[in-house]
Amino acid sequence: MYSFLLHVATLSCIYALFGLALNLQAGFAGLLNFGFVAFAGVGAYASAITSSHGYPAPIGILFGVVAAMVVGFFMARLGRNLASDYWAIATLAVAELIRTVALNENWLTGGAQGISGVPALFRSASGVQNDPAFFLLALAMVAIALFACVRLSRGRFGRAIRLMREEPALATSLGYQLVPLKVKATVTSAAIASVGGSLLAHYMSFVGPDYMLASETFVIWTMVMIGGLGNNFGVVLGALLVEAIYSAVPFAKDYLNISSDIAGAVRLGTIGVVLLGCLLVRPGGLLPEKIRSAT
Amino acid sequence: MLQFIVDVLIRTSDIMLVAVGLSVVYSLVKFPNIAHVQYAMLGAFGTLALNRTGLPFSLALIGACIATGVVAVLLNVLVFKRLLRSGSSIAMIGSLAISMILIAVVLGIAGSRPFRYSSGLSSPITLGSTIISVDQITSIACGFGCVALLAVLLFKTGVGRSMRAMSSNPALAAATGVDGARVVNGITFLSGALAALGGTMLGLTESVHVGLGTNLLLPVFAAAILGGLGNPLGAAAGALLISVSETLVTNLDFGWLFGTTDVYVPVTYISAASFVILLVALLFRPYGIFDREVRRV
Repeated sequence: MYSFLLHVATLSCIYALFGLALNLQAGFAGLLNFGFVAFAGVGAYASAITSSHGYPAPIGILFGVVAAMVVGFFMARLGRNLASDYWAIATLAVAELIRTVALNENWLTGGAQGISGVPALFRSASGVQNDPAFFLLALAMVAIALFACVRLSRGRFGRAIRLMREEPALATSLGYQLVPLKVKATVTSAAIASVGGSLLAHYMSFVGPDYMLASETFVIWTMVMIGGLGNNFGVVLGALLVEAIYSAVPFAKDYLNISSDIAGAVRLGTIGVVLLGCLLVRPGGLLPEKIRSAT
Repeated sequence: MLQFIVDVLIRTSDIMLVAVGLSVVYSLVKFPNIAHVQYAMLGAFGTLALNRTGLPFSLALIGACIATGVVAVLLNVLVFKRLLRSGSSIAMIGSLAISMILIAVVLGIAGSRPFRYSSGLSSPITLGSTIISVDQITSIACGFGCVALLAVLLFKTGVGRSMRAMSSNPALAAATGVDGARVVNGITFLSGALAALGGTMLGLTESVHVGLGTNLLLPVFAAAILGGLGNPLGAAAGALLISVSETLVTNLDFGWLFGTTDVYVPVTYISAASFVILLVALLFRPYGIFDREVRRV
């Protein structure tokens, strides 16, 4: 039981990183990124590939961050003159493209089998992964990312991207360059997500193209929407809640003795119902964004 | 060559029915409904269920189209209308939630294994070296016939005129006595029915499974966006472009690029072709190829 809770907590931390990153883009900058999972996937693959060539983990993580930032830069440049819903579909296409490449280039990514045996970051005496230490690392990463996101969103940059979200024309007239702002928001978010992806790769000791399924993006979106779009703490709460629901379903499956198809349906349906209910009843999420008063 | 044309036409009619419905609804409600591709999946399973209860295939298809249309209208009235008050991005994410719920329901009832319709194996027709089955001919005829009917409805009848008025200026249309709610409901019903038809046709030529809608998501959106969202005939042209490129990419010999022969793009990259075309098109025409609207900053 203890190790299961630790597992859920670690995954929650990793997903909280994804949530924070998506929130920076979607919540504050108002960019509908439906291909977000590409950043996490690029990070995960970069970590797995560099470590399979024998380089230490920090280099892999760093490499992942750089690769994800490049992807983010191109995504944002692509969106420089697209309407938001067109950009959403374009990012979805970019993510699917990257997934198709990962699925087919066996020499680089192991194809559909993915890369297994990604080394653990902390090893206990018996050679298996030291879960408590990994959890602490993930928690520390979330704390750092949370601190960075709060700082960013409260500062001048945060004000600028929120103004861009609400009144793009006004932001332009005040002298803000919208395209560089979008690029900065996307690239920062890509870096955070990539760190999460690298952690996921080292934690699961496996990377596969399924990490980049479009449905994964939608899971992260669900976390952000349930927690509160535009509220950093809400997003972390949302990640914890959704991950708890996700992890509880296998228990229910064993307990009620239902088939795996039904279990998958219950999982997906629960998330869908919770998301829809949240949108209808509390469009701002559980912890809505605080709008600061004019004074 | 004939085989190539047949392949293109089959793929086009599959994508077209769903993409045209998506586009025409977008022109009224102004948000891309991600759940729309799941209506196709729902329609395919509806036909399957009715067919299994003993109805002949054509009646089952009509029943499934009506049922899916009703579901689309109900979802629009009960869910999307309320979500649209909070903005189009919220409605888009809401349609994501709806599509998760629809998949979950079908997965729970029917499971994840694929099904086929028991319409009886018909002997394929041979034209020269090309083999084409009756199902495929039905699928092509249905696809192009329905889109032609839709075009007539939109551009030659009073309903179509009021719909176009609603999409270009809702306030003015309401002031001249167009019943907005009725037009929106009618078009939503029609798009749901078209999606169900498209899904069933896809199920007829391939198989019926729970991932049918999700597999359609990107080709359909690529077609609708290429045509310019809200422009139904553009979406039909987009579908044609997507399927031509998908089929062409796998049939062309790229050997001349490398000075050898028999260099083909792997079949697994078929789906990538449509995404690349979508991205390139959006780079040069940010609002789709067939967009005519004038925008001012």
